[in-house]
Amino acid sequence: MKTVRIRFSKTGRARYISHLDLSRVMQRALRRADVPLWYTEGFNRHPYVTFAAPLSLGFEGLRETMDFRLVEDMAFDELVRRLDEAVPEGIRVLSAAEPVMKPGQIARARYRLTVDGGLGRLEEFLNLPEIGAEKRTKKGEIRRLDLKPSLLETQLSGEEGKTLWELLLPCGGETVNPSLVWSAYTAFSGDSRRAAVLRLELYDQEGRPFE
Amino acid sequence: MDNRLDELFLQVQKPARYTGGELNSVYKERERVNVRFAFCFPDLYEVGMSHLGMKILYGLLNGVEDVWCERVFAPDEDMETLMRERGIPLFGLESRDPIGTFDFLGFTLQYELSYTGILNMLELAGVPLHAAERGDRCPLVVGGGPCACNPEPLCDFFDLFTLGEGEEVNIELIDLYRRHKAEGFSRRRFLREAAQIEGVYVPSLYEVAYREDGVVDAVRPRDGAPERVRKRIIADLNACYYPDRFVVPFIDIVHDRAMSEIFRGCIRGCRFCQAGFIYRPVREKSVDTIDRQSRALCENTGYEEFSLSSLSTSDYTGLGELLPRLLDWAEPEHTNISLPSLRVDGFSEELAARLNVLRRSGLTFAPEAGTQRLRDAINKNLSEEEILDTARKAFSGGWTAVKLYFMMGLPTETLEDVAGIAALGQKIVNCYYANPDKPKGKSVNVSVSVSCFVPKPFTPFQWEPQDTAEQLKEKQAHLRGAVTTRKISLSWHDADVSFLEGVLARGDRRLGAVIEGAFRRGCRLDSWSQYFSLDAWLQAFEEAGLDPAFYANRRRPFEEVLPWDHLDYGVTRDFLIQENRKAHDSVTTPHCRQSCSACGAARWKGGVCVENRSDPLQ
Repeated sequence: MKTVRIRFSKTGRARYISHLDLSRVMQRALRRADVPLWYTEGFNRHPYVTFAAPLSLGFEGLRETMDFRLVEDMAFDELVRRLDEAVPEGIRVLSAAEPVMKPGQIARARYRLTVDGGLGRLEEFLNLPEIGAEKRTKKGEIRRLDLKPSLLETQLSGEEGKTLWELLLPCGGETVNPSLVWSAYTAFSGDSRRAAVLRLELYDQEGRPFE
Repeated sequence: MDNRLDELFLQVQKPARYTGGELNSVYKERERVNVRFAFCFPDLYEVGMSHLGMKILYGLLNGVEDVWCERVFAPDEDMETLMRERGIPLFGLESRDPIGTFDFLGFTLQYELSYTGILNMLELAGVPLHAAERGDRCPLVVGGGPCACNPEPLCDFFDLFTLGEGEEVNIELIDLYRRHKAEGFSRRRFLREAAQIEGVYVPSLYEVAYREDGVVDAVRPRDGAPERVRKRIIADLNACYYPDRFVVPFIDIVHDRAMSEIFRGCIRGCRFCQAGFIYRPVREKSVDTIDRQSRALCENTGYEEFSLSSLSTSDYTGLGELLPRLLDWAEPEHTNISLPSLRVDGFSEELAARLNVLRRSGLTFAPEAGTQRLRDAINKNLSEEEILDTARKAFSGGWTAVKLYFMMGLPTETLEDVAGIAALGQKIVNCYYANPDKPKGKSVNVSVSVSCFVPKPFTPFQWEPQDTAEQLKEKQAHLRGAVTTRKISLSWHDADVSFLEGVLARGDRRLGAVIEGAFRRGCRLDSWSQYFSLDAWLQAFEEAGLDPAFYANRRRPFEEVLPWDHLDYGVTRDFLIQENRKAHDSVTTPHCRQSCSACGAARWKGGVCVENRSDPLQ
């Protein structure tokens, strides 16, 4: 039995596939691709697939990962080719390899937020000494926190009438969702534009890309 | 439009209901397409996507090169609000083009409570609600499905209906349309010619006259439309189109699996069951066909489960040969087979274990009535001994829960029959405690679900008065009193909902104004209890000057002209009258394979009517 980690992108219409639904979509794609999958034992046998870090509904992702297990060997390029044919529009299977890191090592994620138009008050926002936000905890309580230390790297640029904002945020243990950052900005600025979110890459504590 | 839609998708629950792009959904180039067809299911995505008929027609129509068939469902409340706020018209899931620009809007009529939803979808599409107000450039609004057997309440809103099975008639209709489109389309001319296709009913070509008491006096065709419109059936299902792939949804839907249809029609003839009459005669697919089609579906969808679909799976004559054939490839691929509408008896223990029969379907029975007398009256040929036998089998197999389905308000029903429901439940409880190997310390649960009987057209009960909601509520109270153990749990259907269903099922054209009135009062998605409002409907009746009880609660004499009498589903009026009389005498009728009862369906010379049989066909 061998564990495989594939990389895939999830863009366009596929960004509306929720994390929970993605698991079912991928299981069925693996079946269509006739991959020699390992199934769980027991009463309700199913293929075992896991995703390193869930992607929020509506976000796009360029280098997402999924792990599953094979019961017999299969050439990786063959696997990628067949699986890429079997996934729905908006998902592309990019590569396959044996996992190097454990999902628990993921510590950061890089995102790109795209908004129509100019910078608005983003620069002013980023110069605030403290960025207040409210986060709902799992127990339903509202917790105040300062986002400033979580903006590990941030870079603004413009392109074809759009503003691009690249952000490196904690991910894994204490995750900061980019939509929390954006809503802190809109609350501060009164800017009501929506930001399209693209996840570019996941990293470990030392900043090495997750692989 | 894409950008405006994407904004919406991020603000609604389950956006994947509206995005399209699922596996096996069909995309074509607009320039290469001549006929745009919107298959509209007037309910939420989760319900509509579970519907086999849509999957068949979607595949069939998209198989025609210059036709593009897309899916459209009713938006949920949150989406509808946003669409109305921003003036976004209803769109096809595939192209995201407004369906108001399509050639056909095809609605499937699965249940009466979806009628206001149809009006809502037409309005969202920007299409005039009334067929009479549509110009030559408006889409043709067509309907089909079981409720098309009495489409009269919907006649104001539809250009035409197709009766019976759709595989052939829809293609013929599109062929005719293509010709007319090339020559310069005129709605009137097209409809007149369409009425000449067998199975096509163009309501505007029929004039209905009423008597003073509100009963239909006569229905007169004009412009050469046929006196009676006969339904269509597919004679040979083995030669008929069946999709080799389904659209695989992203979100969880009601029936999220492949479905392999194994036969159409039903031999049983339960007198309350409309499907048992309007789909006659029974026609089976061969074991080879089913095996091939099931396998193709699983391969092309990746589904981990498929079900064998029919009205009564146990009646498939080749079941003993079919199941091992299917299991031979399904088991190694970890694909499950589910068997709905199955009688659990008559299975070898080995086969039952391989199929996991009990685990999957749970143990459910539909005795429908509490006493043998009433079961005979409705021609439900299931004896108490058979029920108890199966329950015993299940209990000795370790089961501790059983689910029973009954109906209340059946013709000839007395309070004794109602109490019989409780008594049968009690006998099953007793079976459990009589089992010496029952698990220690575990109790049994018999859950009894009681729906309200609704008389339907083309059944022997089409003349029967429906119990009023008050009568039904009384009977429900009586049943509650008759249950003396907490091991039986009772659940009901809403009697008000069934009342409305009954009114619409046997209604006439005058109900169009009521449906529209209810829609104007905010009714849509009536089959969802959180949206259902009887008050709004009653106001609409009052405004239209109509009494719903006239349609639901009145016994109709056999001589009366029924609103659907000009439609022909094969079963004859004489046969239905004879079955009605037998019901009142509690006399049963043998099923189609025991002997032919000359219902009229043999005119098609198909299926069970021409199977090798000992008795001569009548």
